[in-house]
Amino acid sequence: MPKLTNALALAASIARGETTAVAAVEAALGRVEALDGNVRAWKIIQPEQALTEAAKRDSEKPRGPLHGVPVGVKDVIDTGDLPTGYGSPIHEGKQPAADAACVALLREAGMIVLGKTVSTEFAMRHPGVTRNPHNLAHTPGGSSSGSAAAVADGHVPLAIGTQTSGSIIRPASFCGVVGYKPSWGGVPRGGMKMLAESLDVIGAMANTAADAEAFAQAMAGRQVLPTPPSATAPRFGIARTKAWASVEHASAAALEAAAAACVAAGATVTDVELPPPFADALDAHDVVMTYEAWRMLAHERTTCWDQLSPALQAVMERGAACSQEAYANALEIRSRCRHSLKTAFANVDVLLTPSATGEAPEGLDFTGAPEFNRIWTFTGTPCVTVPGLTGPQGLPVGIQIIGPLGGDVSAIAAADWLRPLLTQ
Amino acid sequence: MSIEDPTRLGALEAARAIQAGTLTSVALVEALAARREDRDVAVCAWATNNEDGDLARALDEARARDAEDARGPLHGVPFGIKDIIDVAGLPTRMGSSIYETSGPAMADAACVALARDTGMVPLGKTVTTEFALRSAGGTRNPLNPKYSPGGSSSGSAAAVADFQAPLAIGTQTGGSVIRPASYCGAVGFKPTFGRIPRAGVKSVSESLDTVGILARNVADAAVFAAVLEGVEAVDLDDTLTRPRFAFCRTPAWDRMSNDAHKAGRVAVDKAREAGASVIDMDLPPAFREALEAQSVIQNYEACRSLAFELRFRGEDVSRALKEYVAAGYDTMRERYDWARNVQAVCRAAMWQVFSKISAIITPAAPGVAPENPSDTGSPICNQIWTMVGAPVVNTPGMTGAAAMPIGMQVIGPPGRAAETLAHAAWLHRALTKK
Repeated sequence: MPKLTNALALAASIARGETTAVAAVEAALGRVEALDGNVRAWKIIQPEQALTEAAKRDSEKPRGPLHGVPVGVKDVIDTGDLPTGYGSPIHEGKQPAADAACVALLREAGMIVLGKTVSTEFAMRHPGVTRNPHNLAHTPGGSSSGSAAAVADGHVPLAIGTQTSGSIIRPASFCGVVGYKPSWGGVPRGGMKMLAESLDVIGAMANTAADAEAFAQAMAGRQVLPTPPSATAPRFGIARTKAWASVEHASAAALEAAAAACVAAGATVTDVELPPPFADALDAHDVVMTYEAWRMLAHERTTCWDQLSPALQAVMERGAACSQEAYANALEIRSRCRHSLKTAFANVDVLLTPSATGEAPEGLDFTGAPEFNRIWTFTGTPCVTVPGLTGPQGLPVGIQIIGPLGGDVSAIAAADWLRPLLTQ
Repeated sequence: MSIEDPTRLGALEAARAIQAGTLTSVALVEALAARREDRDVAVCAWATNNEDGDLARALDEARARDAEDARGPLHGVPFGIKDIIDVAGLPTRMGSSIYETSGPAMADAACVALARDTGMVPLGKTVTTEFALRSAGGTRNPLNPKYSPGGSSSGSAAAVADFQAPLAIGTQTGGSVIRPASYCGAVGFKPTFGRIPRAGVKSVSESLDTVGILARNVADAAVFAAVLEGVEAVDLDDTLTRPRFAFCRTPAWDRMSNDAHKAGRVAVDKAREAGASVIDMDLPPAFREALEAQSVIQNYEACRSLAFELRFRGEDVSRALKEYVAAGYDTMRERYDWARNVQAVCRAAMWQVFSKISAIITPAAPGVAPENPSDTGSPICNQIWTMVGAPVVNTPGMTGAAAMPIGMQVIGPPGRAAETLAHAAWLHRALTKK
């Protein structure tokens, strides 16, 4: 049973009549059937509905570059034909009246929803049941656990992720796939369960940066040509950031190897020190997240406190303790950070950092630390994690590429350029 | 002491009476229910009714609130909720036939849960235009049923102005809180963008959608906004003696009626008489393109946010909405990026605008309400301020043709809602001084 990997290539061969959407869905269902007993990436799948949709897609002209491709939808995003539980017992089995905007847009673009992928509780820390396909004893990361695992295990070539701290980039790194967090505000969030409004971003899990970009564009309701591969080597800046204090050998070594590969391939690589406002970015991110989460989850915390995990209760308590002044101060830090990004990108096209502190931790209770992701979720800059390297335990270790504000094209192009260097 | 007609009480007055034991939340809900029974046949402010069980639920809640200590500054006070916002146990029909037969929402929107948690009582859902956009929902102006209440928060403005609720939640993407407040003679408050959480509110245009408030006085609006934001309410600064206003004609000036021009001039005179300094001010050049940019952003984002309804339930979408979003489909990415850039430039210029003044005064609508209940009017006086995310208060007190109201907007710098509200309260007193 072949893995479903390259989404654009799959759609192209469907368009050429070499294969069909029905065959692609059948292959996906076969992979799920054979493998998901172990990996547990899926909360629910809808075989009949997906096959019916696929047959319809086969009977019409391609509506976009991903026409006929089966995808996974993270279970914090509403689907009008499948229950959406947000990874919480409070909402277990709830059937939304409508598709989230991004789901309607991807269906409109001809893609097929295979099912819902496992999310941690409200996309926070309390884990779901998913396991890392590279080693079932390890976490797949979170919160987009099922989406990362389903793509890594070849069930579907694309799945939706969301990120408030590090919930796309980290699981993608742990599972060895491409994760793409678009610039904040790129993909409409109507119908997504909000966790922290000024941070939450919808993004993509894929096997190539081009696939991730095409997927995110479709979810944003944009039909654009894919970013052409960059002919010249990007100018990379290594930004160790304050998160470096928590880096493990695996990620430090991977970053060094990636930098060396870039230099060998003719790119310039320089060290970049983040401007002074970034000294407070990690703390300010936590203030914004907990303050907003306490408000976004007001219904759940006031009516179903006992059904929140202890980890989420702790977040709620921190949010409750966070003052309006502290929040206003954190927003001010964010605008200073955003403003100072120009300095950080003055002489480089993109920044390179580890995607996570190291390889996926052993065990399923802890989905890993988002330290290398939080700064960039905070600023809303685009991020792509590029797989290819591995750590001492043989598990994947991603390299994170960060583009300037709104510079999604630079980040995607650099990821495309870097990818083959890491997989040699 | 007994209260003759509790429906006339402002929200803070009612809360104080409940605290003092001269009123119960149940008695207040019952009085409002009687008022609705009597009046709503003509006004049509409510989107839920007895079949949905809105008042029965409100009475149950009120009973529970009466049995406990006050949990917040508006404990026991009922409020209406615009019908694009989820309330647990009630349907969210969004003014759309697609959702006409929707079952009850399982959970409260974040802002509703925050209000409930401070002891406030959801009274029912108020009429919205279809998805808070163009197509009117049948509500009449309570001051004269031949006139529009404005939109899209039609029912919220009408219910509050008609004493069927002391407070209601609305939303604004173009001018949907301030304009209906102006038309109905209510206080409207659109807080700084991003402060009242939007989880559980139907998303139309993410860069613009703002949850706001309809009330009958500025102090009530200020406290309700704090509750919905999940922060401590602070008393309005009532020590302003010589506030510094600017009167701003805005790029919409030439498209306003003579009524609005005249109301603006009279308001300035009254403010000066009451002791304010009022300078004339033009907006920086970046704002010349602001109206156009706001329209592009709203249109581009709305047709994407409503993708499910437009693409997969198109047969149940009004023609007006289809026509409205048609342009959005064809908007090029470059045009949208241009508009977002105008938004950013204007936002950045707001500090320059407020370097010498504390608040802007300008008419809240291009005239009095249209004499046609299905024409909710034009948002041209509001779009710019929604786009820059500034706090805006509609201050009633002026009238135009047929003695219908025209409000004055008080606009402050983003993030400075408390000062803006204090200035609006000051202006409200100045405009209503006999």
